[in-house]
Amino acid sequence: MVWDGIGHTFLGVIRALLPLLVLFIIFQFLVLKLPRSYVFNLLKGTLLAIVGLALFLQGVSTGFFPAGESMGEILGAMRAQWLLIPFGLMMGFLATWGEPAVRILGSQIEEASGGSIHKNLVLYAISASVALFVALGMARIVYGIPLLWIIIPGYLLAVGMLRFSDRRVIAIAFDAGGVATGPIVVTFVLAIAVGIASAIEGRDPIIDGFGLISLVALAPILTIMVFGLILRAKLRRKEE
Amino acid sequence: MRDNVKDKVLEVVTAILPLVLAVVILQFAVIRMPVHIFVQFIIGAAMVMAGMVLFLLGVEIGILPMGKALGAELPRRKSLFLVIGIAFVVGFAATVAEPDVIVLTGQVDEVSRGAIAGNVLIYAIAIGVGFFVAMAMLRILLNFPIAYLLAAGYIIIIILAFFTPAEFVPVAFDSGGVTTGPMAVPIILSLGLGFSSVLAGRSALSDGFGLIGLASIGPIIAVMILGIVLS
Repeated sequence: MVWDGIGHTFLGVIRALLPLLVLFIIFQFLVLKLPRSYVFNLLKGTLLAIVGLALFLQGVSTGFFPAGESMGEILGAMRAQWLLIPFGLMMGFLATWGEPAVRILGSQIEEASGGSIHKNLVLYAISASVALFVALGMARIVYGIPLLWIIIPGYLLAVGMLRFSDRRVIAIAFDAGGVATGPIVVTFVLAIAVGIASAIEGRDPIIDGFGLISLVALAPILTIMVFGLILRAKLRRKEE
Repeated sequence: MRDNVKDKVLEVVTAILPLVLAVVILQFAVIRMPVHIFVQFIIGAAMVMAGMVLFLLGVEIGILPMGKALGAELPRRKSLFLVIGIAFVVGFAATVAEPDVIVLTGQVDEVSRGAIAGNVLIYAIAIGVGFFVAMAMLRILLNFPIAYLLAAGYIIIIILAFFTPAEFVPVAFDSGGVTTGPMAVPIILSLGLGFSSVLAGRSALSDGFGLIGLASIGPIIAVMILGIVLS
C-alpha cells in the first residue's frame, strides 16, 4: 500500500530536478569549470535530495492525503459544523508554532529591532495570526464565503500599510509570507480542507477546499507590518 | 556533518511531531477514521520525516552550492539581457523542483480530476516565479524601491481576480504561497545575495530581502492568466 506508485514518484522527482541539473552542467562546462571531485560531491548531494524528496512525496500521497481527506470528511459530516472553526484555530497554531522558519524569522526581527521586539513575541504573534486565518478559512468553507472577500481586503490592508512602513520592514514582512506555508499546511491542512469541502453539501472541493494556503501566507505579512508600525510609533515617541 | 544531521532531524521532528500527536489524540478521542488509513498515516509520517531529513541534507550538500555557483557567476556577465535571462531560468528551475509546488499541483490535478492539469500548473507557476525573479534583479540593478513593485503586483492581482474563472481563483492564490519552500527559497536568496554583493555601494542585506516576497506574486498572476486563457 505505502509503496504503491513509488516508481512513478521517483520519475517525477528526477524530472523535477532535471532543469536545475542541466543548467548547472551547461555552466560547469562553459564557464564554472569547478574541480571534478567537488562536482562529484555535489552530485552525491543531489542524489540524496532525490531519494529524500521521493520518500517525502510518497509519504505525503499515501499517508497524509488519505488521512487528511478522511479526517476532513468526518469533520465536515458533523452536525455541529461551527466546531470546525476552533479546530482550524488549533491546526493553524500547531502548524506554525513548530515551523523552524518562523523561529528563524523571530531571531532576525529581534536582531533588526535592536532587541526591542523579543523573538518569542514574534513566534506567538505569527502563530496566533495564522491560527486566526486558518479558523477564518474554515469558517469560509462552512458558510461558503468566497475567498476574494477575505483576501482582497487583506491585500489592500497590506498595500495600504506599505505607505507608512520603512523599506526594511516591508522586505522582511513580504518575505515572511512564506514562513508559515511549510510542509504541514501544504500537505495536511490542505487535504483536510479539501475533505471538508467535499463532505459539506453545496461546497465545491476546488473552489472552497483550496485557498487556505493563501490565507496562511497573508497572516504573517500583516502581523509583521503591524509590528513595524508599532516600532515606528515607539521610536517617534522617543524622539519627541 | 554529524551535527548537521542532528540539527536537521531536530528541525524536522519539531515541525511534524506536534501535528502527528494531535492527529493521534483526535483519532482516539473523536474522529475515528478507518484503521487502515490511520496506520498508513503513521507510516506516512515516518516516511515524510525521513524523506525531509534526507532532502534537506541533499539540498545543503548538493543543490545549494550549485545555486550559489550560478548566482555568483551572474553579475560577471556584462550583458543585462543575459543576467535577466539566467535569473529567469534559475527561478524556473528552482520552482519545478520545489516540493510544496509538486504537492499542491498534484493535489489540484487529483481533486479536479485532471480538469486543471498538474503539469500545466507547475509550468505556469514556474514561469511566474522566473519572471518575477528576473524583475527583482532588474529592481536591484536600477535601485527601484521595492514598495512600488509590491504595490503594483498586488494591484494587478486584485484586478485580474475579477476576470479569473471562479475555479482558478483559490488555486492561483495558493500557488503564491507554495513557492516559498525549502528548495526555491535558498536558491533564489543566494542568487539575489550573490548579485547585489558584487554591485558597488549596495547593501546585500536590504537588497536580498524582499526577493521571496516578489517571487510569490509571479505565480498568482501566471495562474490567473492561465485560467483566463483556458476558459
